[in-house]
Amino acid sequence: MKSRVLLIIMALVLAGLIAVPWLASYFYIFIFTEILILGLFAASFNLVFGYTGMLSFGHAAFFGVGAYATALVLIHLQWPFLACLLVSTAAGAVLAVGIGFLSVRLNEVYFAMLTLAFGMMVFAIAYQWRSVTHGSDGLAGFTLGDFGLGLKLTLGNPSVYYHVVLAIVAVAAMVLYLICRSSFGLILKAIRQNPERVSFAGLNVRSYRLAAFVIGGAFAGLAGGLMAPFLRVASPELVHWSMSAEPVLMSILGGTGYFLGPFAGAAVFVLLETAITSVTESWMLVLGIILALMVIFFRKGLLGTVLDWWQERNQ
Amino acid sequence: MSGIGSALLNSLDIGLLLFIIAVGLNIVFGVLNIINFAHGALYMLGAYLTYTFVNLAGLPFWAALLLAPLAVAALAVIMDRAMLRFIYQRDVADSLLLTFALLLIINESVRLVWGSGIHVVRPPEPLAGSVDLLGSPLPTYSLFVIAVGLLLLAGLWYLFNRTRVGRIMRAAALDRDMAEAVGINTRLVVTGVFAFGAWLAAVGGAVAAPMRALDPGMGDKIIIESFIVVVIGGLGSFPGALLGALILGLIHSFGGRYVPEVNMLLPFLGMALVLLFKPHGLMGKGASA
Amino acid sequence: MNRSLIKHLLVGMTAAATLGTASLSHAADPIKIGAINIRSGSAATYGEFAQKGFDLAVKEVNASGGILGRQVEMMYEDSQAKAATAIQAARKLVYSDGADAIVGLDSSGVAQGMVPTMTELQKPLIITHAATPDVTGKLCNAFTYRVSVNVSQNMKAAAMVASKSDAKNWTTIGPDYAFGHQSWEYFGNYLKAMKPDVNLMSETNFPRFGAEDFTPFIDRVMNSDADGVLISVWGGDLVNFVRQANDRGFFDKGLDLMFTVGAATEVLSALGEEMPEGVHLSTRYWFDAYDNDVNKHFVKAYVDAYGNAPSYNAEGAYAAIYAYKKAVETAGTTDGPAVAKALSGMSFDAPNGKVTFRAGDHQALVSPNWGVSGPMDAKLGIRTLTNLQVFDGEAVTPSVEETGCQL
Repeated sequence: MKSRVLLIIMALVLAGLIAVPWLASYFYIFIFTEILILGLFAASFNLVFGYTGMLSFGHAAFFGVGAYATALVLIHLQWPFLACLLVSTAAGAVLAVGIGFLSVRLNEVYFAMLTLAFGMMVFAIAYQWRSVTHGSDGLAGFTLGDFGLGLKLTLGNPSVYYHVVLAIVAVAAMVLYLICRSSFGLILKAIRQNPERVSFAGLNVRSYRLAAFVIGGAFAGLAGGLMAPFLRVASPELVHWSMSAEPVLMSILGGTGYFLGPFAGAAVFVLLETAITSVTESWMLVLGIILALMVIFFRKGLLGTVLDWWQERNQ
Repeated sequence: MSGIGSALLNSLDIGLLLFIIAVGLNIVFGVLNIINFAHGALYMLGAYLTYTFVNLAGLPFWAALLLAPLAVAALAVIMDRAMLRFIYQRDVADSLLLTFALLLIINESVRLVWGSGIHVVRPPEPLAGSVDLLGSPLPTYSLFVIAVGLLLLAGLWYLFNRTRVGRIMRAAALDRDMAEAVGINTRLVVTGVFAFGAWLAAVGGAVAAPMRALDPGMGDKIIIESFIVVVIGGLGSFPGALLGALILGLIHSFGGRYVPEVNMLLPFLGMALVLLFKPHGLMGKGASA
Repeated sequence: MNRSLIKHLLVGMTAAATLGTASLSHAADPIKIGAINIRSGSAATYGEFAQKGFDLAVKEVNASGGILGRQVEMMYEDSQAKAATAIQAARKLVYSDGADAIVGLDSSGVAQGMVPTMTELQKPLIITHAATPDVTGKLCNAFTYRVSVNVSQNMKAAAMVASKSDAKNWTTIGPDYAFGHQSWEYFGNYLKAMKPDVNLMSETNFPRFGAEDFTPFIDRVMNSDADGVLISVWGGDLVNFVRQANDRGFFDKGLDLMFTVGAATEVLSALGEEMPEGVHLSTRYWFDAYDNDVNKHFVKAYVDAYGNAPSYNAEGAYAAIYAYKKAVETAGTTDGPAVAKALSGMSFDAPNGKVTFRAGDHQALVSPNWGVSGPMDAKLGIRTLTNLQVFDGEAVTPSVEETGCQL
């Protein structure tokens, strides 16, 4: 019974998202594109954090690398968009293999610090390797050509681009969900709770952590690839630690214990930011207060709190 | 060879200042297992309060050096009572997140109160000017910073190894339940250590104020530097903080002079190398977590 | 139970949808101008200055009847010095808040990202600060204009000043990002063309942007053969640089020093007497360099309102509003493409004289001010500038072909 309700809700949400360009004003197309992309980014992070228990503070490295990859391919090779996204995903995965291999053997705060260090190293490279990345100015002036697969889509139209992003994020989310629900995902959760016990059961904890990290990196790269044409620029801030903080905040806001938590968190974050920056220039202050309240009182996030309340109502 | 000589002196100068700023972060982690992301913001607050006392209230620098850290420590007590006490028993991730929230709040508050402009605090008369050392002029104030840094190091060593307060802090760090069992008021220790860490951050800010232009972004600039210092030296080891700070000073000083094309990368590379080969830092003992 | 949940969801979604519906515009509605500046972090002072300039201009314009009989309303957004944030802010200003034009932009990186977006937004953009030549060069488009001095204009003027100096060996100390490198590149090219026997040293100095410590670079220059130094460090970094340089005796070496953005008011106020005398300082607009009615009025109004002399950022903002006003009045409408077209080749009276937006690339033909730091102005608390030079805008601006702009 419960899963039927869930399915109906999901279908409604999906229908609503598809209908955004007709239901809401033009501006919301951009808002929801941003929410979807950042939601995917946050979900990729949550695989590593919420499911596997590793707090990575350099996740933006993969996101940024994905953005730069798409930008570079569009500038130099003009491949169709789908091909660019594959390159971005691969770039995120490859970088994650490198960083992950070195990092997953560490625990807790050391892991966080090392991923922070690696993330900032990638930032430093993006910032100083001016001949390739154009340094602090970033790469701009690239345009989308075809989508690929012979589909004729005017990607320059924000509404079309939004639907493309929606389709890709929906598929990616589905894949991620299947991963989380599989036995692989269960092992990750077990590792988060008690790594020693998993190790005693004969499983190589480090390999599983690395696998989760690489998958997280790959999907973050994909999100980055979607972001670059949306912003029309790929710049080093996309790799900075302050960008790495965003999926953390979004996952906490939405609820790290639920698959859709990061997506909900991304929606809340973006909508809140849009609303509050119109009213005050002290958005950071408001964000800080909200985050503090969430961490102290609503640690399970929005979804967690809502679901708990719902369960109580049913009893 | 005056290039190397002045590079070395320069490293000492930068290094000691970084030590003063970062050591509080180290102590808070060592005793409380909390990474205080807001440490840089507290440093900034110390600097801005010094500016207020000296430039706006006309107090002598020495008075500001005394008052500003106390004010920030008082604020830290409030922060602890109001917010941090909820998450002490939780894991490190929560402390990172909550202190990050505090960073956002303090940063914006500073900008709202003091405005966006650039401010300068002049060093007091006896410390202005420079002396000739090894053929190059060294600002007298840099000597003051070095002296304060060494004094602090000695003071901290004495505190932790020779006083009752220090023993209590170390006991609470090692085993909080056991410490409670022998009658130590760990709640008080926790608040005290956090306030002490904030006090140290603000001392760093007050000392740095005459050396660095004040702007609303100075907290963010220093927090990553502090993390690097603390990681290289060893989380929880304050002599390690000195070593980490000196190493970072060397990296900045020599990197800037000789390999500027990669000088942004080097500190993080150093941080990564230490974490890879000696995760507890060059001087860290085993971590409690 | 489940039905009511579904009903709640539907109601919620409908409510969310109606939130976004745009309001119909009305003739008596105000004209809205969206300003995107850096309003947080280390460079927040520029956003503050820009706002002062915008507010002053809008107050004056509204007091004299507005534009086409409509009042003007400013809307401010923080770019946070990030292109991504600025672009979303621009979309919000235009699509959600109904902005008729975008002004501002401090950071060149932000501008580079924003400029292509203007064709999507179909509104005019008047840049008031960001100096990268590319936005009126290879990235130029029908909607983008710049009222302020760009790097090539600033550096050509710098080269003109440097060519009169005896210095033979030139090096630079600049922030390690596009601005620092571009400044040196343009300066070097122009200087070499004017005075072929200068030596542009291969040993250059680019401290990382936001570096707190400049002593390694100060020492390096002092120990080298350089007798002329182009310094493009700015803002808080410049304040730190000058103080550290003072400590190390940098200013006693007889070097010919040219600070490309040294006469910025926030730097001069912060430094006070610590800014040495006898060095070349430049700024994109120096309040004391222009003797025309518009400037006299502007400076007086600004000092009366805010207590200190206007910085170049404030002047650029003030001028942009008046440029927009004239363009709208010329076009007779606030329609984006029409106003953008009206700006092309348009001249108007700004504090720094008669300013024209060149039709070929939309860059204002303006010049920076160079001077030599002199005695302290007791009232304003900053160094005065002596030997003030204002260059002919056309003389310092490269030709349209040279910029790479193809409109």
